[in-house]
Amino acid sequence: MLPRVFVNENIPESDVWNEELTLYRGNNYLIEAASGGGKSSMCAYVYGSRVDYEGELSFNGKDTRGFSIAEWQEIRCRHIAYLPQELDLFPELTAWENIQLKNTLTNHFGDKDIERMLDELGIASRRDYPAGRMSIGQQQRVAIIRSLCQPFDFILLDEPVSHLDEVNNRIVADMIAREAERQGAAVISTSVGNPLLLPNAKKLSL
Amino acid sequence: MNIADRLLRKNTSPARIAGFVLSNFLGLAIILGGLQFYIDARSIWEDDDSFIRSDYMVINKRVTSENTFGGATGFSAAEREDIEKQPWVKRVAPFSTADYRVSASLMQEGRGLSTHMFFESIPGDFVDVPASQWRWREGDDEIPVIISKDYLTLYNFGFASSAGLPQMSEGLMSGIPLTLTLRSDDGMRSVQFHGRVAGYSNRLNTILVPQEFMDWSNARLGMGKVKDPSRLIIEVSSPGDVAIKDYMAAHDYEIGGDKSATSASFLLRVVVGIVLAIGVVITLLSFFILLLSISLLMEKNRDKLHSLLMLGYDVRTVGAPYRRIVILASAGAWVIATGCVFLLRAFYLPALKGLEAEPGSVWLMLTVGIALTAAIMLFNLLSISKKVVSAWRIKR
Repeated sequence: MLPRVFVNENIPESDVWNEELTLYRGNNYLIEAASGGGKSSMCAYVYGSRVDYEGELSFNGKDTRGFSIAEWQEIRCRHIAYLPQELDLFPELTAWENIQLKNTLTNHFGDKDIERMLDELGIASRRDYPAGRMSIGQQQRVAIIRSLCQPFDFILLDEPVSHLDEVNNRIVADMIAREAERQGAAVISTSVGNPLLLPNAKKLSL
Repeated sequence: MNIADRLLRKNTSPARIAGFVLSNFLGLAIILGGLQFYIDARSIWEDDDSFIRSDYMVINKRVTSENTFGGATGFSAAEREDIEKQPWVKRVAPFSTADYRVSASLMQEGRGLSTHMFFESIPGDFVDVPASQWRWREGDDEIPVIISKDYLTLYNFGFASSAGLPQMSEGLMSGIPLTLTLRSDDGMRSVQFHGRVAGYSNRLNTILVPQEFMDWSNARLGMGKVKDPSRLIIEVSSPGDVAIKDYMAAHDYEIGGDKSATSASFLLRVVVGIVLAIGVVITLLSFFILLLSISLLMEKNRDKLHSLLMLGYDVRTVGAPYRRIVILASAGAWVIATGCVFLLRAFYLPALKGLEAEPGSVWLMLTVGIALTAAIMLFNLLSISKKVVSAWRIKR
């Protein structure tokens, strides 16, 4: 697979572009990239929001280009969780409402579970703050909780801890690993220098 | 209200929605009001003559002093041929007149009333009465008759009141046994029949019997005089054609029946047509107002639509708030417009009844209103689905 913009360019050695790569449930992957390496493009391709690539991308053995909108909605609710780099929170909604926006769709967690997660990530006091008035680090944690509010086979995290210190990085990594393990899922995270601190992640370069 | 709905309803402009409701209401009220008024008022101008269709007309020559003293008012063969050649004529038939004398007598409560009268006939396919009621076969004792409504009016209000006779309704009159005595001009032969009034006509100023009876009785009682027919019945392609009027004026022919009714009903149609056209234009504009305001709203919320679809919301759910606006606004406009039409009707109906109009039904108005509203909804709902799908892929 290769993004169309790279087609006539010389790109550095990569484990993803121009290669055949299969990601399996139950493993952890860390994709390390330089800026401009196509990291966010890759996430958008995997999540079905962009198709401007050459080659083939299959999910469960089926070419994702052929998926209908309804099939993608099913995948996004049950199979692939995604934390976009730009977070995509609604600034006018509170932290709680942003999380519930996803959770009411999947009914994955009870209110108590979500409150406990907020507490664990140290943002319980920001529960009813509009997301737009929080710091980026706090927003990042709200978005992480939201991305966990669904059953998944893969969780795709685009620079999940870029605005968190090491202590918070470990707390987040622990929470994600726990959820992934519980569901037998794979964690795929990307990084440009501040990786999610998962102990046994397989490193891939982009 | 759930969180997604609240997000998507952001940027809704109540003013624009109100603008749509107002203009759609106006357009619908004009269309439906005009339509309903036409349906209710048409009976004033259009005497629904069930015996003769409106595209038939009866013509005769104008009677002048010249005719009275010697000139004939019959149409010669050449004149009939000329009429037949006119482009607005579909077919022509002459009125046949009886070549004998007719007297009618009716007995009621021991009192008798007898009068001289006459018969005319036109070919059966010009008379719009079921064949079972408008048929005579040799040997039948009963003759169906269609008489002019004017005769009954003359009797009821002119003759009966001054002669101390009871006034009669159409139904009553039809039930009275009428004895018809037909006598040849030389008085040598005569036959008696029973007459049955099959109906009253506004547009035929005559006493009409079936053509079969006329042919039989003329052969039996006539003296063999052949006269040119003095009246013709014509089926025309369009009754409002100006060429007809010009031709009639040029040849000094008269069109029988109430001419003013035809032009008034023509005028009514033109006025209603103009009113409906204005209503249609306003309704179309209101449709575009709704289409544009929903599109604008969805364009403003496009990022939110995209983000919700990214979260796994389906196309139906994210379109729901916009569909709700469209359905509520158009249904609301229809309800108000229909209410206004009924209100308007309550004002004009008493006046129309004073003019002896028979109000029509409201079903057509309701159906048209629902159909227009459904069309507006449908197009808007389709455009909403298209807009949601377009927000699916690329973010601006």
